[in-house]
Amino acid sequence: MSTLLPGQPVVLPSRGPAPQLGTGVYVRDACIRASLLGVPTLDAATLTIPRLRPRPPAPNSIVLGSVTRLSPLQALISISVVDDVPLPAGEEFTGVIRTQDVRATEKDKVKIGDCFRGGDVVRGVVISLGDTRSYFVTTARNDLGVIFATSEAGATLEPISWQEMRCPQTGKVEKRKCAKPEGL
Amino acid sequence: MQSGFDRRRINGPEESNPPIFEDEETPTWNVGMPRRNRASVDIRPIFLQPGLINQATGSAYIETQNTKIACAVFGPRQAKNVAFNEKGRLNVDVKFAPFSCDRRRAPMRDAEDRSIAMAIHQAISSSVRLDVLPKSVIDIFITIVESDGIEGCVAAGVIVASTALTDAGIEIFGLVASCSAAAVGEDIWLDPSLRESQESRGTLVLSCMPALSTVSSIWQTGNMNTGDVLACMDACNSRCTDIHSVIAQVLLDSI
Amino acid sequence: MTTTSSSDIFQRLHPRVYLERFLAENVRPDGRPLNVARDLAVNVGSISTADGSALVRLGNTTVVCGVKAEIAEPELDEGVRGFLVPNLDLPAMCSPRFKPGPPSEEAQVLSDRLNDALVASNILPLTSLSIHPNKAAWVLYVDAICINYDGNVFDAALIAMVEALRNTQLPKATYDEETGRTTCSRKIKVPLELNHTSLPVPLSFGVFDSTHVLADPTSFEEPLLDTTISIIMSNANPDRLISVSQLGAGGNDALLTCVEAARVRCREIVGSDIYK
Repeated sequence: MSTLLPGQPVVLPSRGPAPQLGTGVYVRDACIRASLLGVPTLDAATLTIPRLRPRPPAPNSIVLGSVTRLSPLQALISISVVDDVPLPAGEEFTGVIRTQDVRATEKDKVKIGDCFRGGDVVRGVVISLGDTRSYFVTTARNDLGVIFATSEAGATLEPISWQEMRCPQTGKVEKRKCAKPEGL
Repeated sequence: MQSGFDRRRINGPEESNPPIFEDEETPTWNVGMPRRNRASVDIRPIFLQPGLINQATGSAYIETQNTKIACAVFGPRQAKNVAFNEKGRLNVDVKFAPFSCDRRRAPMRDAEDRSIAMAIHQAISSSVRLDVLPKSVIDIFITIVESDGIEGCVAAGVIVASTALTDAGIEIFGLVASCSAAAVGEDIWLDPSLRESQESRGTLVLSCMPALSTVSSIWQTGNMNTGDVLACMDACNSRCTDIHSVIAQVLLDSI
Repeated sequence: MTTTSSSDIFQRLHPRVYLERFLAENVRPDGRPLNVARDLAVNVGSISTADGSALVRLGNTTVVCGVKAEIAEPELDEGVRGFLVPNLDLPAMCSPRFKPGPPSEEAQVLSDRLNDALVASNILPLTSLSIHPNKAAWVLYVDAICINYDGNVFDAALIAMVEALRNTQLPKATYDEETGRTTCSRKIKVPLELNHTSLPVPLSFGVFDSTHVLADPTSFEEPLLDTTISIIMSNANPDRLISVSQLGAGGNDALLTCVEAARVRCREIVGSDIYK
């Protein structure tokens, strides 16, 4: 298919079942049209025009952010990467990880202070658009949680289990809800 | 004219005035004479370039001879201090450069900035798919570097904003084109300059999405009869098709 | 930004370490050596509503400047002097860092520094703006607007102001003692009586980690720098300093490195079409 401009009709290559409409396309008066500049692609049964610019978080987005504030009930994060696309500096979104969303088991025993510290970089998944202030984010999966943290001595912590990290300088162990390192 | 002392700026004297000329230009045109420099239905050539402001999500710059406007689009940004909203919000902010008009414009927002911002907002907002942008804000910032008439600024502002939105990858229903017209004597002149709108009985700016055959805004001022208004709308609408293809071409060239 | 890679994400999450890794190889993220400034392009006189104008692009940083001339009564104790009023606007359009509203702190500081630089260079003797002693003098409003903020706006804005002033022509003005009015001629226009051998040529630097001196920093580098140094040379003589300013700590070595690099840049600019 060729490059389309917003408003132009999408001509589907062959007759088949009507596709599901994804990003970048819409239907008006029974005509499918482009809403982004780009080339439409038909993946499985979903028609999209990919959007490569930074986008706001949506449910199921994978986000990276740094912890900005802790309270007994939740950790606030400043989201700087959404679905592998970095947001420009100054354009961060606020996310919140509530105690019940930190891990999948023993949810009622979660102590936020034993899971995150200020400045930690966290990988999470957006559960919902949340409230007025923030997006709700979960880390309750093996591959989610802290991916980068600095020890009290200032060194980069190394994960040793899913709830502990060690300082390579002092050997001291600190508690975190770690993400399972990629490739393990 | 410096409007009072402002400690946040470098200040000049308390009062200053634009120069007064002894040899005021004598008007060489009178009602009933044909248009100078171009035919009634001709518009000024459009130079349009998307993507010059790399700090913004999307941007564009437009020049139609003496009208020069830059536009930057930011977002979708997180809406702050507002109630949860399923739909996104569009914010249009227009600023005149102090040197953009015959008289210096002191750096304070005046009513004209706001009325132009509103006109552009009206022409653009129905083209944006705000339904796919829950709790987000799209900021459109427009700086008028040089102005040659309000009508031209609104029309060029709409074109440059729609181009910048597309460059920013914001989902829109269609590109918005815009064209102005003035009723001068018995004639309809498209894309009037500042001087031409001053000579006119009334002006009209029409914005539309040619791909969807939809008009998104009409802004008419002055003393025009219904016949004039319909004639202006017709003339603007057909010229918007040409403007649409200019926007389309520069966007296709940009990728 | 059309494609993203893991290095873009790393840059976003760990900007400091990202920059450190480049500097360890003696190169900047944009491929420049440490002491080299970005390309400079100047376009003058394109704004017909201004009495003089210039558009400057320093890498991606873009500043447009226009001069508007008005007439005022001179100050009581400075009867034969006019006014030069430079201001820089950093609107919300130029960077996500700025919000709409009155001038930010950064804009105020930069406007002050630009004013100081123009005064220190004595580029325009204010007596040349007098129309009639104690009665009438020109006021030049020199307004620069940043359109795209990719770092080092000071250098771009100062060059834009100088070029806009060089482009400025004033109508010939006459003060009538009987009527007390000043009138101007549309036909006769005269350029400003600039001090052509004292045009300020700026080059700014940032010091990273007290060791690396980066010339003409970008908006990515700027927030990571602990010291800012600005050197302003005179166009006629690359050994004449108009102003040196340093904000933050730094050794003599850094300052000497900067002066040397500024000298090279000054020759480069004076040798090009700019400031000619």
